Amino acid sequence: MFTIWELILQQTVNGLILGSFYALVALGYSMVYGIIKLLNFAHGDIFMVGAFVCFASFGVVSAALPGWPGIVISIVIAMIIAGIVGYLTQRFAYRPLIKAAAPRLSLLITAIGVSLIIYNAVMVITSSRTYFFQSGIEAAPLFQAGMFRLTDIQVILLTISASLMAGLTLMIKKTMVGKAMRAIALDRDTCRLMGINVNKIIGVTFFIGSALAAIASGMYNILYVNVSFSMGYMFGIKAFTAAVIGGIGSIPGAMLGGLLLGLLEAIGTQFVGSQWKDVFAFGLLIVILIFRPNGLMGKTEIERM
Amino acid sequence: MSLMQVTDLTMRFSGIVAVENLSFDVQEGSITSLIGPNGAGKTSVFNCMTGFYKPTSGDIRFRDESLIGLKPYKITHKGIIRTFQNVRLFKNMTVLENVMSGAHSVSKQSVMGALLRHPAARREEKDILEYATYALEYVGIADKKNELAKNLSYGDQRRTEWARALTAKPRLLLLDEPAAGLNREEKNQLSMLIRDIRDDLGITVFLIEHDMDLVMHVSEHVIVVNFGTKIAQGTPQEVQSDSKVIEAYLGSQEDEDAAL
Amino acid sequence: MKLISKAYELMDNKLIRAGVLAAIFLIVASFPLYFNNHYINIMLIAMFYMLLALGLNVIVGYTGLCDLGYAAKFAIGAYTTGILVNVFEWSFWLTLPVSIAVSIVIAVIIGAPTLKLRSDYLAIVTLGFAEIVRITARNLSITGAASGLHGITRPELFGFRLTSFTHWFYVYLVLIVIFIIISFRIRHSRFGRALAFIREDEDAAQAMGVNTVLYKLYAYILGAVLGGITGSFYAVQMTSISPNSFDFTQSVNVLLAVILGGMGKIPGVIIGAAFFAIFPEIFRDIPFVGDMRMLFFGLLLVVVMINRPQGLWPDRLRANDKLPDKI
Repeated sequence: MFTIWELILQQTVNGLILGSFYALVALGYSMVYGIIKLLNFAHGDIFMVGAFVCFASFGVVSAALPGWPGIVISIVIAMIIAGIVGYLTQRFAYRPLIKAAAPRLSLLITAIGVSLIIYNAVMVITSSRTYFFQSGIEAAPLFQAGMFRLTDIQVILLTISASLMAGLTLMIKKTMVGKAMRAIALDRDTCRLMGINVNKIIGVTFFIGSALAAIASGMYNILYVNVSFSMGYMFGIKAFTAAVIGGIGSIPGAMLGGLLLGLLEAIGTQFVGSQWKDVFAFGLLIVILIFRPNGLMGKTEIERM
Repeated sequence: MSLMQVTDLTMRFSGIVAVENLSFDVQEGSITSLIGPNGAGKTSVFNCMTGFYKPTSGDIRFRDESLIGLKPYKITHKGIIRTFQNVRLFKNMTVLENVMSGAHSVSKQSVMGALLRHPAARREEKDILEYATYALEYVGIADKKNELAKNLSYGDQRRTEWARALTAKPRLLLLDEPAAGLNREEKNQLSMLIRDIRDDLGITVFLIEHDMDLVMHVSEHVIVVNFGTKIAQGTPQEVQSDSKVIEAYLGSQEDEDAAL
Repeated sequence: MKLISKAYELMDNKLIRAGVLAAIFLIVASFPLYFNNHYINIMLIAMFYMLLALGLNVIVGYTGLCDLGYAAKFAIGAYTTGILVNVFEWSFWLTLPVSIAVSIVIAVIIGAPTLKLRSDYLAIVTLGFAEIVRITARNLSITGAASGLHGITRPELFGFRLTSFTHWFYVYLVLIVIFIIISFRIRHSRFGRALAFIREDEDAAQAMGVNTVLYKLYAYILGAVLGGITGSFYAVQMTSISPNSFDFTQSVNVLLAVILGGMGKIPGVIIGAAFFAIFPEIFRDIPFVGDMRMLFFGLLLVVVMINRPQGLWPDRLRANDKLPDKI
């Protein structure tokens, strides 16, 4: 049976691409959780805002710059605006609570509040309509064998995702900002005493996480076309699941978790049925928490007083 | 008779050695102090004794039973109760409720007791309330029992913590820097209270402290640590005249002055 | 402020409190005499929310855990009862213990691994589980797929079939009283105090000897059981259930009722639930407000958390609380 293997191969590629989007969004969850122990519930909505900004920008830009150049510019605009929105949520909603050393439940509920605000604001602004992102780019097959088809778009998207993740890993490892982030994750108070501007670094973390989500949403637009206010809810939760699977707080873990989840979902949808699509992710989440609660690459925390 | 034995305790945090090969005994019915300059590893010892840290190696025995690997709540159930250096009260609850929390380890009604309120549950509630009230009177804040813990003065928050610990009717009371933040008057009351707790209630007291005044005044046996290892032990007088101790303290005094 | 503390003081008197509670009960119990079915129906919705909010309050208000999938708890109760009554022709009353047992088993499966590690994962795990329940209900034939179960037989009580709005009004009223007594008894017990210690400071609670993991699990199970019972009654009251009755919005509404209402304070939770049940009924037809309401609640949530993290009407022990055996 050649076709079965072709099908699996095809779904593997699809899964890797979807998984790389999950991974990019999961990075935002993981970075924020690592640094302030907040499950940033609104991150999925930031992804959705990115998709809309990208859609709207492309609507304006595409007249002058159709195709890839227009898309790239739109994604850059989406990155900046989503980054600013992410920063603002941190500045006005989370920072006062962090300053007051509020219980984690308050932080989490605030994040749910922020999510409700963004979700419903966009719903009102867009009158609950679903829009279609017409990139105008025709996918050209680079390789074809039976039912398996690898297109140039797929290769481009995978390459962009991979280089973003590599870039982020380098940034966290090598730059001052990255080192400060890791230090704050370990001990916020000591960092403050050492003269690190903790608030600024937390702000930068939110900006970077949100910008990554915006890039993911821009690429998602190209492949999946539909843009609506509710697109971030499920996607966000699954990306969070990916972060937990990989081990929350771990950057390579978020990437691995995203890719695994994407693969599972693509292959599961193919062979079990699309109506069960969302069950795979959550089922996997529960299984992982039971058998490997720190995720695949997470470290066991030393409890500190 | 020794109530608690610490043998070759070592605690490392990813390369940093907080405690190294530390051994000491706490005699039943004694007031024993562990002292040392800031950063000497006192709190790490404390957290190992109460199960909040798992030591890298070594043994801690209480009444000939090892405490290694036990969760903090299990250790509390064995009759060891602690206070916290930076006062950890249940801020949005009343003083009385805070003190009642101490009784948790010496009572047992759970979900069914709460829902059915059978006679045994009612009796237990009454006992808890009575003993908590007694503990509040003992430390002298009975009049504040209905205030929220977060609205108390610092000194009264400390007292609430002591009352909470007493309500557990412990065999061993562990005090983590009990004098921190208290004024002279309050420190005097504290040392009287520590003696009373031992003399009247028969509770063994172990404290870690860097306030020398209190330690020398109240304790019978002193263990001095620096950089995670024991440098001296004995009666307050013996320790006070030990050259290594003087050196450690003078050195740290200068550091502290420099930091200020 | 003076008036409020005066009122609190009065309420500390056992007789006065009993009188006030009895008066409130009698006034509420006489509602069906003055109101027509339309209003009673709205009241039923409000009472249903009150039951859910009281159940969720044990998890969120008392213990400080975040459950974002409470809808799944009542879905499980509703489907258990619905299937047993419809397919296996059981009597409704016999389905209640089954519904409780199923709720317990599921709460343990979800709660045990999650609460052992990081409680804040509970939010996302409960949410994910709620989605699994909803999707499963939509795709299985035994649950009636997308259209759900219909024509669930209404139960008999003392040889008397519960059919009218008024009957159900009294059934719900009795349930609410039972739930309030349960909540009150939990709150004023060693068990309930331990939950509050966990909510306030988990490490200190542990140092006082509270087995925090086990107690969190107990609280989670209790909340799930109360939700399951509510779901069972809901199924036979409505006579039909479908996956859409159990979506995320429902979970969020109940959560909002608990948090904005009072976070542990029983009257606050009840008022919060009434507000969130009736609010959409009133403003549904006003176009702008209807769309904006969740936006407004989101803002309110953030503002309340920043300024009053304990909720609008926080839980605390009454002054002069002498012996905790009041009910």
